Amino acid sequence: MTNRLCNNKSYVWALATVFMLLATPSFAADQTSKPDPAQTARGAKAWAANCARCHNMRSPKELTDEEWAISVTHMRVRANLPGNVADDIIAFLKASN
Amino acid sequence: MNTKKYLLRTAFAGSLMLFPTLAFGQTTNNVSIEALLQRIEQMEQELSGLKAQVKQANSKADSANQNAAAAIEKAETATQEAKTAKQEAVRTASPSTTNNNGSDTKWHLAGYADAGLVITDGDGQDTFTSGKFNPMFHFQYKDLVLFEGELEFTTDSEGKTDVELEYSQFDIFLHDNATLVVGKYLSPVGQFQERLHPSWINKIQGAPAGFAHDGVQPANDIGAQLRGGIPLGSAVLTYVLAVGNGPRIGHEGGIELEASGNDDNNNKAVTGRIGFLPIANLEIGASFLTAKADGIDGMGVFTPSNADFFLWGVDGAFTRGPWDARFEYLNGERDSLFSAHEPGGDVELLPMMELEAWYTQLAYRLSGVTEHPVLRNFEPVVRYGEFIIVGSDELREENAQKRLNVGLNYWLAPSIVAKGGVEWRNFKVVGISSETLYQFQFAYGF
Repeated sequence: MTNRLCNNKSYVWALATVFMLLATPSFAADQTSKPDPAQTARGAKAWAANCARCHNMRSPKELTDEEWAISVTHMRVRANLPGNVADDIIAFLKASN
Repeated sequence: MNTKKYLLRTAFAGSLMLFPTLAFGQTTNNVSIEALLQRIEQMEQELSGLKAQVKQANSKADSANQNAAAAIEKAETATQEAKTAKQEAVRTASPSTTNNNGSDTKWHLAGYADAGLVITDGDGQDTFTSGKFNPMFHFQYKDLVLFEGELEFTTDSEGKTDVELEYSQFDIFLHDNATLVVGKYLSPVGQFQERLHPSWINKIQGAPAGFAHDGVQPANDIGAQLRGGIPLGSAVLTYVLAVGNGPRIGHEGGIELEASGNDDNNNKAVTGRIGFLPIANLEIGASFLTAKADGIDGMGVFTPSNADFFLWGVDGAFTRGPWDARFEYLNGERDSLFSAHEPGGDVELLPMMELEAWYTQLAYRLSGVTEHPVLRNFEPVVRYGEFIIVGSDELREENAQKRLNVGLNYWLAPSIVAKGGVEWRNFKVVGISSETLYQFQFAYGF
């Protein structure tokens, strides 16, 4: 079984390369946007839905706006959050701070 | 202005009222006319005086309005200055943050630490543990790159400080749904290692059997990952695909699933995990790792060979309100190979080895049944798991066991917890006594 998977590694590499090429045009996309009430509402929902999956939800007052921005970016990677969802959560935390 | 109009109207009306009297008076008495004229003149003078007064009052009102506008402007300026001062004070009081002026780079210092006490009825001694201190550094450039690293400081049994680099990775944000990670990273296999092991998140004092050192759970690796989350309607699909140096053969022919600075062969390990969240409260996942590992150099007539290693696992978590339920299962298989048990030892044929580990855990926060300010912070937790090893008697003696944990946590804050619990270790090898540990730990995530 392992041999079969090892033989398929080139396929995995190719798949990863194609994915990266597809993703590259968006590399420079500006992900910052001015928060609006709708985004804040989406962020509140996403915050409640995602953070408690692994740990207690921490109060928005625990960190400053800037600290939240970095912390949520870290969690975007750790929890595989889509980027727009992470942006919504940041907007909510800033609005609640 | 209204006062002025009123006075003019009054004067005009008064004049009209006087005209008939004038007409009659002309025919009767010229002296009266003169008196009336004098009176009119007097009234005109009074009117002029009143106009002057009104003008003066308006002037004063204009001046007052100007003063009020100036005062409002001053107040707004003061408010803005206070706001700026507050922001500056917050920035000064939070040295871990340096982006209040919208600079491109910002950083954040986070991490966690713990300390505890372990009382055992086994061969070991009752001991206080200094636990771990794990500072985490986050440096972010715009929304393009995040560098994150975590160190782990511990104190060994001789009193020396051990330092390990848990991870050191660059996260390059390619797309809302794709992040490229390069460097040393925590293994994406399962949930425990990547997301649950920090002591302020882990609801039990230690890792489940088989999920720590010498277990089947990969710890970390060095290489590259592509990962992200993709919304599928109301559901979310998450993925990680990683290519790294991979595992090595460890002592007694075991598999060391920890990152090595240099690969032991040209073969690269491929790791992956797919997670699916049909609803926000439920996550199920499947992971794999495939790699080759070289045998350990030694003496004798045989030369070391390499062996395939393949690992797969499934995991799941349900979290809703006070409930937190999860399970993980891992199954690894290393083919037979020629290797020394230890560096420099005799090279011999080691049989195929199978590793299997699983655990299930349930926790419930009492806030679900009471609003009492103290009781609501308690959280009973129970975990049961097993680690099975086939193909290495030595490793089986050391680690194969069933393990039951029962604990009670008290949350002082969302990221500060005091834990107390009992751990029963029932070793699988006949002749090795079971062990009971009473564990206490204080952990803080910051």
